[in-house]
Amino acid sequence: MLKVLTVCPYCGCGCGLYLHVEEGRIIGVSPSRNHPVNRGTLCIKGWNCYEFIQHPDRLRTPLIRKNGTLKEATWEEALEYTARRLQEIISLYGNDSIGVLGSAKCTNEENYLIMKFTRAVLGTNNIDHCARLCHSSTVGGLAAAFGSGAMTNSISEIRDARVIFVIGSNTTEQHPMIAMHMLEAVDKGATLIVADPRKTKIAEFASIHLRHRSGTDVALLMGIMNVILGERLVDREFVMRRTENLEIFENRLREFTPDRVEKLTGVPASDIRKVARVYAAEKRSMLFYAMGITQHITGVDNVKALANLVMLTGHIGLPMSGLNPLRGQNNVQGACDMGVLPNVYTGYQKVTDPKARQKFERAWRRRLPEKPGLTVVEMTEAILDGKLKAMYIMGENPLLSDPDLNQVVKAFEKLQFLIVQDIFPNETIEFADVVFPAASFAEKNGTFTNTERRVQLIRKAIPPPGDAKADWQIITELSTAMGYPMQYRDTYEIMEEIALLTPSYGGILHYRLEEGYGLQWPCPDRKHPGTPYLHRKKFARGLGTFLTVDFKLPEEMPDDNYPLILTTGRTYFHYHTGTMCRRTTVLEREEPEPFVEINPEDAEALEIRDRSRVKISSRRGSITLMAIVTERVPKGIVFVPFHFREAAANILTSAALDPEVKIPEYKVSAVKIEPEETEKILKTEIKAFRTR
Amino acid sequence: MSSEWILDKNHLSYWLRQLRKEADLIGPLRKPGGDIVFESIERIHEIFLDLPALIPGPKEFLFPQYEKLFNKRDSKVEELSIKRKRVVFGVRSCDVSAVRLLDRFFLDRFEDPFYSNRRANTLLISIVCNNPEPTCFCAGIGTGPYLREDYDIQLTDLGERYLVQAASKQGIRAIKAYSFIFSKPTRTDYDDQFEVQLSAMARFQKRISLERVRSMIITGKVRDTFWEKVATRCFECGGCVYECPLCTCFTVIDRVFGDEIERARIWDACLFKGFTRLAGGVLPNERMVMRTKRWYYHKLVHYPEVIGSFGCVGCGRCTIVCPAKIDMATVAIKIKALADNEEKIIEQKE
Ligand code: SF4
Ligand code: SF4
Ligand code: SF4
Repeated sequence: MLKVLTVCPYCGCGCGLYLHVEEGRIIGVSPSRNHPVNRGTLCIKGWNCYEFIQHPDRLRTPLIRKNGTLKEATWEEALEYTARRLQEIISLYGNDSIGVLGSAKCTNEENYLIMKFTRAVLGTNNIDHCARLCHSSTVGGLAAAFGSGAMTNSISEIRDARVIFVIGSNTTEQHPMIAMHMLEAVDKGATLIVADPRKTKIAEFASIHLRHRSGTDVALLMGIMNVILGERLVDREFVMRRTENLEIFENRLREFTPDRVEKLTGVPASDIRKVARVYAAEKRSMLFYAMGITQHITGVDNVKALANLVMLTGHIGLPMSGLNPLRGQNNVQGACDMGVLPNVYTGYQKVTDPKARQKFERAWRRRLPEKPGLTVVEMTEAILDGKLKAMYIMGENPLLSDPDLNQVVKAFEKLQFLIVQDIFPNETIEFADVVFPAASFAEKNGTFTNTERRVQLIRKAIPPPGDAKADWQIITELSTAMGYPMQYRDTYEIMEEIALLTPSYGGILHYRLEEGYGLQWPCPDRKHPGTPYLHRKKFARGLGTFLTVDFKLPEEMPDDNYPLILTTGRTYFHYHTGTMCRRTTVLEREEPEPFVEINPEDAEALEIRDRSRVKISSRRGSITLMAIVTERVPKGIVFVPFHFREAAANILTSAALDPEVKIPEYKVSAVKIEPEETEKILKTEIKAFRTR
Repeated sequence: MSSEWILDKNHLSYWLRQLRKEADLIGPLRKPGGDIVFESIERIHEIFLDLPALIPGPKEFLFPQYEKLFNKRDSKVEELSIKRKRVVFGVRSCDVSAVRLLDRFFLDRFEDPFYSNRRANTLLISIVCNNPEPTCFCAGIGTGPYLREDYDIQLTDLGERYLVQAASKQGIRAIKAYSFIFSKPTRTDYDDQFEVQLSAMARFQKRISLERVRSMIITGKVRDTFWEKVATRCFECGGCVYECPLCTCFTVIDRVFGDEIERARIWDACLFKGFTRLAGGVLPNERMVMRTKRWYYHKLVHYPEVIGSFGCVGCGRCTIVCPAKIDMATVAIKIKALADNEEKIIEQKE
């Protein structure tokens, strides 16, 4: 019996856990007692994260599509074939005809390599990953305001906070172990403020719950800031010394009186005043947000508004005082840090900056493209326009996660060549020409970076099944097959290269991570102990800047034909497109079926019974699923989780994008709901019965 | 029946080394970062003796989280019961008490062959806790910090030597085979043992009487609103059930690997709504409060009725693993506060 310390592969909390190994198999999991995030606890996903690893569905051999079906192949065949096809496509259509998706589920080392492969070997900046779909607004918005976009505090600071303001995050369900710290703070007397249209679980512990209309976050935040300004709660000293451009922003702010905001958001003016006072008055105020803020066409504006709020009150740059985006995936922070984005290299060094580009050109000994590449959703468009011909997808499942799925399907049908590298067959594999079987988190070494910027080691507990290989090995071999040899003994050598090229990771090396529970970047040199909170004394960009934002309605508002607002998200028991958790007995049993949450008033008007089947349609398509009638959603809004391929929520969502960072608006689409005609079902069922 | 010896601490590693020749030796090791976990021991001097309650407890060696039951290939069924011999060194008294109750669940009337095989091949060496953790409350239940009977081997730390007690056949054999390193205890040894026991009892920070809590519950003094408040906090993580050395919820799954079918049982938790899912998707315990209440009722009311002792040995593990702080100890203390309050009110009335 061996116990291997590693990190949970599900969410951005990054809980430390042990995998129990007996006779080469993983037979259990236990939490780490001293880990600063989970301190001896885990959520249901963590407790069950061992089960999918040895699932029979795991991909074990490389596959090549021949005459329409995927056939088993050797690594040599698969690599040689892939290298040849990629080279053909490049010579026929140019470097920018290929797009690559990295993965927030893979390690930093693997993301670095795929980034290097894309830029140095394929010669394009067309690389992106699912962070586009969750937090690109954060990366864009905070980079503009502060100069760096990540959680400013540490998770262990939360329990000593006095005011916790959570907006657009269902923390208890999506970041359970962060919610644990929040609950502890509340037990110790902290005030919890939650702003969310849904009555989420975290809202049950809140002293004030603001249920604003979906998509009116900017207005709500402007209202709060208006009160802070009007009641002289502004931290003048902080604003003067550490920020600029408040004067410009102030004028706009004055337009958002609480009464006007009440009309826009549906939140009583008195509540807005109360929140403003509570939040501004206490220095130890932490602000948290997640997808409810970012997944809008106004995503970047929402984030900028939040940045303005913390600067106005001076609640940043101290322990227990800051602005904290909660990153969803276990390594989405890391994948962004590693430059798996179309416009930056590692550590957010811009591809358009000649100095940065030259540095990487010299290190990699290749000429690198200068123009930023395409984002996830733009890639789909480019395929439809005939500009993008091939894609290489590592550990992602765009055929369930991207908005407006019907369009995505059309695009993928048009691709000439698709490489999918994953641990399980997923929806995307159905379109693949080559499939590379990859190792899971328990079968390789490397690092994940959690939402509080903590870079932690994951350790190999067992060998991968069949012929599967770690993603980093596959990339090195493919690169070598394409005439650009990559040689690393193990992932620690890749990490050393990352440290060399990335100032914020400068002192992060595997041997330092071995003792203890990781290091938080920025960590510029080998002696540096890591940084628990950001923007101390000075913002990353020098002065923090107030960016003027204005209120804009969501792209698609409800109308007579589509009278309800659809918002999408996750449930506690499942994770994203469900490749792992839907292969876990307990998780699948808890939530085996897709559902839509609808308010009792709406349900009554539409004659929908609890647990009955309904059809929900948008301008883009429709799905059929079970209705759950509940007060959790307010009138006029329905909620559908996006995990289920049987009723993929993203068939309904719109691909309306934030103009700056191109994040799709998953949180607002107009839909209509109708009871499924029971007649019809009955008829088909009888027919099916007869033919049996 | 218990036999007693003295073992010089210098000879502990020799003894363990001999035991390891016949069995997999498992003991507490310190991992980078400071966690202490049970693992197979490579270097005996690395065994970490000054240990807190371990997560997970020794339940994992008798009833693991994932256990293969059998394989089926071409209509041939192969049972996969594990018969490997194991010595688990450094378990706590409460854990041994818990195993005694697990035995009754798995071995009385219907004997579970998988548990039975593992159990028969596992020797538990427990150490009297002279330094209980803040989370421990076995003293009030009588399941620790030291045991009077029904252990395999129990060690009491007397400074530079151990008082070694063996109660099971297996345990006595493990000592008699190496009798030349053991000596007879003297009067002073017993005096020292008594002192250790007293001081151990004195060091408990938590004093909880589950009996009091039970009587509050069965007399209907704990209202549903109380349970509602407890249940609202629950994260539905299952940790309390997974880590409780007495909880035995499991589910059985089949997996098809090509032409081979594997049947396994895995840990489950009655705290999940799907645990009692019925055909057609009906969830009789959909509301969390029903499940929370059931867990407490099972441990505090039904266990005493059926088995004659509480379904809790006071190990404090649920206190450590519960993110919501609604573990046995915390809830018991809250219920006791209700009771005290009530008494106060009665006194005032009088
Ligand atoms: S909170 Fe997140 S990281 Fe922790 S166990 Fe749950 S899914 Fe894993
Ligand atoms: S209920 Fe808690 S304290 Fe009691 S035996 Fe189980 S885990 Fe230990
Ligand atoms: S450990 Fe606590 S939060 Fe988790 S299921 Fe048990 S009572 Fe609920």
